[in-house]
Amino acid sequence: MSFRTFFLSLSASFGVAWLAIVIVPYFEMRSIEPVAMGEEATGTNAIYIPKRAGRVADGSQVYAANGCYLCHTQLIRPDYAGNDVFRSDFAGLVNKEEGIDTRRESNVFDFAGEKFAHIGINRMGPDLSNLAVRVEATYAKGISAEQWLYRHLYNPRLEPARSHSNCPSFRFLFVEKKVTGNPSDEALPFKGDKGEEIVPNSEGRALVSYLLSLKKDNPVPPVFDFKSTEESSTSAATPAP
Amino acid sequence: MSTETANTNLQDAQLRAGIDRSLRHPVMFFLTSGAAWLAISMILGIISSAKMHAPGFMDGCSWLTYGRTQAAHLNTLIYGWGFQAAFGVIIWIMSRLSRQECKAAGIILTAGHVWNLGVSLGVLGILAGYGTGMPWMEFPSFAWPVLLISYLAIMIWSMVQFKVRPEGHVYISQWYLLAAMIWFPWVYLTANLLLHVFPGHPIMANGINAWFKSSLVFLFFTPVALSAAFYLTPKVTGRPIYSYSLARLGFWSLAIIMPWAGMQKLAGAPVPFFIPYLGAAATILFFIPAFTAVFNILRTASADMEIVNHSPSLRFTMVGVFGLLVMAVAAVFLNLPGSTLKLTQFSLSGYGFEILAIYAFFSFVMFGAIYFIVPRITRREWISRRLIKMHFYLSIYGIITVAIVAIFGGWMQGLGQEQFDQPWESAALRAYPYVWATTISWCFILMSNLFFFLHLTFMWLGLGRRSNHPTLLISAHGHSPHGDEGDIDNAGSISAH
Repeated sequence: MSFRTFFLSLSASFGVAWLAIVIVPYFEMRSIEPVAMGEEATGTNAIYIPKRAGRVADGSQVYAANGCYLCHTQLIRPDYAGNDVFRSDFAGLVNKEEGIDTRRESNVFDFAGEKFAHIGINRMGPDLSNLAVRVEATYAKGISAEQWLYRHLYNPRLEPARSHSNCPSFRFLFVEKKVTGNPSDEALPFKGDKGEEIVPNSEGRALVSYLLSLKKDNPVPPVFDFKSTEESSTSAATPAP
Repeated sequence: MSTETANTNLQDAQLRAGIDRSLRHPVMFFLTSGAAWLAISMILGIISSAKMHAPGFMDGCSWLTYGRTQAAHLNTLIYGWGFQAAFGVIIWIMSRLSRQECKAAGIILTAGHVWNLGVSLGVLGILAGYGTGMPWMEFPSFAWPVLLISYLAIMIWSMVQFKVRPEGHVYISQWYLLAAMIWFPWVYLTANLLLHVFPGHPIMANGINAWFKSSLVFLFFTPVALSAAFYLTPKVTGRPIYSYSLARLGFWSLAIIMPWAGMQKLAGAPVPFFIPYLGAAATILFFIPAFTAVFNILRTASADMEIVNHSPSLRFTMVGVFGLLVMAVAAVFLNLPGSTLKLTQFSLSGYGFEILAIYAFFSFVMFGAIYFIVPRITRREWISRRLIKMHFYLSIYGIITVAIVAIFGGWMQGLGQEQFDQPWESAALRAYPYVWATTISWCFILMSNLFFFLHLTFMWLGLGRRSNHPTLLISAHGHSPHGDEGDIDNAGSISAH
């Protein structure tokens, strides 16, 4: 086999895969078709517009630079690929009494505003797709969600129930400074010395703002909704009497 | 022996000596700085692994937070050690097999320094908090053009050497080297252009990253290590490769199957449905190129087990080939869609598989090659059999623990994750003992590599033994089982190239 044939065969065998799974899907996915909300389910003919508030872009960078993706994932897999949707605190919020069920799989619009989807590679810690939902509904008692996240980042083992956490402390995202005027709303409840307070620095603020954007509880079109697929599959299995 | 044959043999020996001399500076530079990076990577690995079970360890310092040290650990392992070991081995094997002296040693050496500068700045960037958050591509975005350009400046000469070689046989090692030399820049350029220059959909960007990691393992580290194994085994045993047609099957199956692998890490993510499943299928099919190569190499070596036992080069290489076998079995059992893929997708197994590929397979074969190459280019023998043995056994104990524990531990962790009616903590707790074991075994591997680095540095300083007998693991007396080439004073006894 000549060098030329060798090179061409090698390029062909690599090039086919390169085009089929890298180049074409990448450029195809740069423009995603909008999805209609579906008239039956919502009564409107509107287009689904994913909503996300907070410092997504720069908070995402802090998340990346400090390697959060090494222990936390942000992906709720459909039930054929894992049991994530059944963990209600991962996939959404379930409150049967009030008829709340926001569980759903991750969809293609969920990472809007980020350059790179931090799907993650390992789950040493819990999935963060719905972190803000959990913090607001269950963790933060008597304090704001922001306050809770600041405390947690400063010392992840603060609460007795979390004494086994192996999440690192992010004390370096906070600064100690002199209290001038009223103490800051963001100050941590740990005593600084003589009129000092511990407040997050700008990276810490960006990170918490990003973490608070991790919630998937807005209404989605039925195609994206786990609940509706679950109902349809159960109703198909047991027809109404 | 006729005068004519004697003359040819003498010319051959002079050519080999000339090649070795022309390459001694760049090769030794790559190997020693690679070994230094390996030691640094082990230290970072111990720090980050310890933080998994003792989160208070070196706590609160931004430079040493887990997320940065772990990223720096893997990036130094890959770009500091892996690539530089590969550079040293590739340029030497390619020169020898193409029978060409290296005419660009100065440029290669300069490019090697630039590569090291790029890696150093990249690692500092990660530790300082400028990491990109893309696994294996965490270096801040200034680093990739620097690395790519220095890669091309290092590798282009080997390509040229192959092109202008005297007519004749093309060795299996050369197929693998040429392929790796072509695949890597293609993969690296694609991934970096797509992720840094042409922003696309964030999820597909993650897919490109997963494909990049897999391609680096299967299309760069694997062919380079296979090339060295296919070079060393016949060379040291003095026997031809068992089957060329089997080798051809192994090579082309690698070339055809492995570019499809990698995106199984996105199973369940909102990407086109076929992508993760093609990735899983391709990764599982890795057993075809792997088993054929393992069988071929083991069949060649098994003809003379005494040599395998005596020669440090061959013993390391054989362990590496065995590592490839384990890696191929793991590739099958970790990626079965519908049963194990969902358990291992987000667990320690991913890390375990990477370490298996980079250390248990690639690095062991590279160690084998280094034990073969360094005496030839420094014209000195390794100083101490005991240092080699320490390196060998500590590395083996360490790597068996890291890889097996991480893979099995990841599996257990995955089972815990799937039990959705149990609290999350139970899944996290399942991984703890395995994390402990990982820390301890990294300590073993660090120790083993400090011995290796020390030994290599002595050789680099020209402190090796002046002897006609190679340093063997069992006995240095009698006929050299290293073949005639065991006599590194190449002007003397001779063998065919």
